[in-house]
Amino acid sequence: MRKRKAYIGFIAPGFVIYTLLMIIPIGCAVYYSFFNWSGIGPMEFIGLGNFKKLFTDARMSGIFFNALKNNMKYLLCVLFIVTPLQIFFAYMIYIKIRGHKYIRLMLFLPYVISTSIAGFLAILLLDPNIGVFNEILGALGGQNAKRAWLGDPDMVFKIFVCVVIWQCIGAGMMIFYANMQEISDEIVEAAVIDGAGEIKKFFYVIFPMMKSSMSTNITLSVIYALTMFDIPYILVGPQGGVNNKLDFVNMVFYRYAFGGSYFGETSIGFGSSISVTMFVIIMVFSLVTSRLMKRFGE
Amino acid sequence: MKKLQKNKKIEAPGTRFVKNLISVILITYSSLSIFLIGNTMLSSFKTKSDLINNTIGWPKSFTLENYGVVLGQEHFFRYFLNSVILVGVSLICLELVSSMVAYGLAQYEFKGRGVLQTYFLVGLMFPIQLGILPLFIMLTKAHLNNNLLGLVLIYTANLSFPVFTFSKFFKEFPSSVIESARIDGASEFQIYTKMVLPISKPVIFTVGLLNFVQLWNDFFMPLVFLTKTEVRTLTLAVYNYSANFLANWNKIFAAATIALIPVIIIYFMFSEQIVAGLTGGAVKG
Repeated sequence: MRKRKAYIGFIAPGFVIYTLLMIIPIGCAVYYSFFNWSGIGPMEFIGLGNFKKLFTDARMSGIFFNALKNNMKYLLCVLFIVTPLQIFFAYMIYIKIRGHKYIRLMLFLPYVISTSIAGFLAILLLDPNIGVFNEILGALGGQNAKRAWLGDPDMVFKIFVCVVIWQCIGAGMMIFYANMQEISDEIVEAAVIDGAGEIKKFFYVIFPMMKSSMSTNITLSVIYALTMFDIPYILVGPQGGVNNKLDFVNMVFYRYAFGGSYFGETSIGFGSSISVTMFVIIMVFSLVTSRLMKRFGE
Repeated sequence: MKKLQKNKKIEAPGTRFVKNLISVILITYSSLSIFLIGNTMLSSFKTKSDLINNTIGWPKSFTLENYGVVLGQEHFFRYFLNSVILVGVSLICLELVSSMVAYGLAQYEFKGRGVLQTYFLVGLMFPIQLGILPLFIMLTKAHLNNNLLGLVLIYTANLSFPVFTFSKFFKEFPSSVIESARIDGASEFQIYTKMVLPISKPVIFTVGLLNFVQLWNDFFMPLVFLTKTEVRTLTLAVYNYSANFLANWNKIFAAATIALIPVIIIYFMFSEQIVAGLTGGAVKG
């Protein structure tokens, strides 16, 4: 039976490249994390030394936990601000409010804009010297009304969340919307005949049917939140901005892995230990989400 | 549908007002993006002195000077070409490799198929960034660092989502059609290239569009793997301008426009298909 073996030919190229460049590197990162190694020269086995440094070293643990705290803070913003907004937008499009086609097209538009351009547009609005916001504020209320925006430690995180909402809301919104469209018309119509308004219709009919998009979106958001990099890097640079308010674990990782001498030290082993920690956190969160989703499913 | 229309009459009187209010707010808010993009494109034609006082608004006179500087002196033509080559070659490799994997997994029965299916989905859970340090060492050893081909390989390896999308399509593919081609004496690979691929055009198209958008806009991978000027991509070049905003004030609008135009054209032509590529695999699962 020649045809039975043919699957090997189809799967092999993908299997090789996927294993070599996707799976093995993650395994290697785990391996490297147990060594003191700068990338060149001999590797010295130090057991959990890198992790110990990451979690307990006075300077390092401060940087790391500050970044991790920001990741978590952002994750909370996703769950309590971004996701509800996505559902709201999706529902408004679903019930076809006026101009829903235009709204849908324009809300999803930022998804195709690269983060470097999104960052540029944000800077265009927020730059303290020539930004549009300060021009407007300056014209309205004089010099005192102007703000430092991204340079203001109290505002920078809020601005960051606004930029994320603007740029990243589209994908999740469309996933929710696609899910809503799959709900059969008969169920929805029955509710309408029973006199349910839009709000009741949402809570009693639509929302309970959104489990699949919910679990997809929350899983994607968790991964995105824990690997956050582009937007803060572009907005405030690799150091995480004023008082490290926008420092994230992936940026700490980038500094220690690729930053070179500019940021103090480059260490493959230590960088890997940050990767491995992220890996474990993502795994724990994914397990928790899927457990929770299953429980709500029953 | 008609029934629904009728029932709208029993809406509470306030509902319509609230709905219209929301609609106005959403239309205003969602217009922000197109306004900023349009303004960026307009500003790219402004002279340097015009830009300083006239950041938002219609140009006093149109000039191509900024494009001359950006494309000529600042090598943007090169960066554009780099992006086109990188994304183009990556898309071809990714489509081919991932559709073959999905076809093999969906249309053949063999031991360990379930395990392999799960194996190929691991990449959905764990982003490629986690293994980026070892990848960096591997590519450097293979002299593929600062090389477009190196990044092509990495993008091709990141195939979990395309495999997932293709698998859904191939599972519903009628195996009787394939069976009859087999009886006619076509080889397995011929069946795939001559029959399966032509029928799969819509999926290939949606997978391609979605990945075009993602790869064209990718920032992290080029930042790590393409640090030399010769291999720089558009997203990185735009970032380098915005990182020194004041110094490149006049050039950045033209640079951003060059990077924006391909995705914007594709978006307004095919936004439905991009959404389909994004949600097709995501909702049912």
